[in-house]
Amino acid sequence: MNRVPVAARPLAPAADRVLVAAVAAIRPRGHGFDQPIDADVLARVRGFFPFLPGPLRRAFPIGLRLLELAPIVVLRRPRRFTRLPLDEAQRVLERLGDAGGLFGALVLGLRTLVFLAFYQHPDVLRALEVDWAGRASELVRRRAELIAS
Amino acid sequence: MSALEPPEHRLAYPNVVDGATLDGDRTFAADAVVVGSGAGGAVAAARLRDAGLDVLVVEEGALERTETFTTDPATMIQRLYRDAGTSMILGRHPIIFAEGRCVGGSTVINGGMAWRPPARVLERWERELGLDATGPRAMEPYFEAAEAILHTEPNHEDTYGANTHLFLRGAAALGWPVARAPRNMRRCVGLNNCALGCPTGAKQSMLVTEIPRALAAGAALLTHGRVSRVVWRGSTARGVRGRLVGADGRPRGRFTVEAELVVLAAGARHTPGILRRSRVWSRQVGRGLHTHPNAKCVGIFDQRFDPWVGTHQAFHIHHFLDDGILIGYAAVPPGLLAAAVPGIGAANAEKMARYNHMLTAATLVDDETEGHVRLGPDLQPFMWQTLNAADVERLHRGVALTAELLFAAGAREVLLPFSDLHAIRSPGEIRRIHERPRDRGAIELMTVHIMGTARMARDAAHGATDASGAVFDTRGLVVADASAIPTSLGVNPQETIVALTLRNVDRWLEQRRRARPPLRRREAPAVEVRHAGS
Repeated sequence: MNRVPVAARPLAPAADRVLVAAVAAIRPRGHGFDQPIDADVLARVRGFFPFLPGPLRRAFPIGLRLLELAPIVVLRRPRRFTRLPLDEAQRVLERLGDAGGLFGALVLGLRTLVFLAFYQHPDVLRALEVDWAGRASELVRRRAELIAS
Repeated sequence: MSALEPPEHRLAYPNVVDGATLDGDRTFAADAVVVGSGAGGAVAAARLRDAGLDVLVVEEGALERTETFTTDPATMIQRLYRDAGTSMILGRHPIIFAEGRCVGGSTVINGGMAWRPPARVLERWERELGLDATGPRAMEPYFEAAEAILHTEPNHEDTYGANTHLFLRGAAALGWPVARAPRNMRRCVGLNNCALGCPTGAKQSMLVTEIPRALAAGAALLTHGRVSRVVWRGSTARGVRGRLVGADGRPRGRFTVEAELVVLAAGARHTPGILRRSRVWSRQVGRGLHTHPNAKCVGIFDQRFDPWVGTHQAFHIHHFLDDGILIGYAAVPPGLLAAAVPGIGAANAEKMARYNHMLTAATLVDDETEGHVRLGPDLQPFMWQTLNAADVERLHRGVALTAELLFAAGAREVLLPFSDLHAIRSPGEIRRIHERPRDRGAIELMTVHIMGTARMARDAAHGATDASGAVFDTRGLVVADASAIPTSLGVNPQETIVALTLRNVDRWLEQRRRARPPLRRREAPAVEVRHAGS
């Protein structure tokens, strides 16, 4: 039933590389969250873009290309975002997020999409011991019985 | 057919035209066209059909059936929400805004609250704003009828989860009375999936009530139809024009609906957008935006209590409603809650590992600031509201009260919605919320309750629509959604939208009866469909 808009155009390789690096920096780690699901998370994040409103869809790749150059301003070092070690990439994202404005909105959006894809992954839900779907099946039956009785 | 299916899984939806499957340009004809199928549109459509009019409902989204709903947020947000839930109200403190785009509109994705507005609000409409018969006494029968349509009932105790009991414990410790929430549901079983569509069918959204009822009575429904503007003959509305949208989101053919009555019920963002694109130049169109913003607090407890087990918002705290503050709670799926938890990477993981120890509560404030909706360069409506100092102060007080409640319930840490004050660890630290500089940092705000952008008023100088929801200086054009609400309500608007629509439909029909002889009721299918040029 999930509608997949054909208007979905894949990100250009340069923007996609930044997305991969951003997902790696944002995805939760440690504390029981080391599931090897980066590819699934990335696919889910990419799959969300076509559903965004037109202006956001057009702005997102531009934002990613600018993020690639952000370390020059944030860390005052001539390094690309995609070449930063994980801790420095996280520092760049955190500082941009705190700064607010358009870059803050970009980080907020990325963070929201990555967390949504990550924490709702079946492996992660299992680790969290959250079984909303199983409960749904049970309660649909339960309600049918209550209404019928 | 399984014996264990809820009745809402077996509903029939006759007379539906799926616009995503139509090629070329189409023309439809009806007595009344209703744009939007949410709380206002569905009720207007059903009542107009009851009165014998041929009704066509045009909905931009798809007909998503109850039995196909899942608990996966990403999937359901893409299917049921406009712009996948990424709309934003711009301003000093941007507010994330979510609304439904599917048959049933936002009633499919709301929390199912069915509150009447406080009596002081209705008294103000009647006495101060001069809107006749909008006071508590005059509106009483309409609220009663609205509650029957919505199937309003409180939650059964067997649906309460531990989160409900913690919320009640916090309120009791502080001596705050709680209000048992009236909700539009039929034997809720406490799945707590309201915001993603109720798979059990318990929530009595328009998808399972007025829409199928109207269709069974002979109304018709066009899905995937995006209305762009009203068609005029002089100052008289003669129908609407728009684009059919494929399931892929791409525009397909164009469509026209010829109708003597045009009912706009596209929500408080898109109704003024359609009016503006239709060259309704009144300065009042789009003004008066109220957002009823909410700010979340997350209490982290020592004990595990599985917040995802148990019903959604069985209680509210209305103790501070006269001060414009409402407090509620909800279970939020981990993928959505994580965005409200600070940090990325390991920092976020450390907090989220305690997901089953988290109680999410929120404060909703009655905003006095009026924002506006205007058309952007792409002719799409955008929203703007910069909350004034009083509203920002009210938000801080609401957050402080919510944090107080969470600590009183036993939380050992409370996560806050401020970018410069992420968490506090004791009730003594609540003063830091009051001391926080108001001009620095961001407040994470969200709303699903926008209203007032084509508000009813006694004259065209004060609102876009008259006391019956008819657009000033036009004929045959009326508004039936949250746009018509005259002021901020301070509570969830669903029941008010339904009650006002019922009241206003009576007035439209009365005006119509005066203008013409009684209608001859035609048999279904009621709507004539013609190919362009035929």
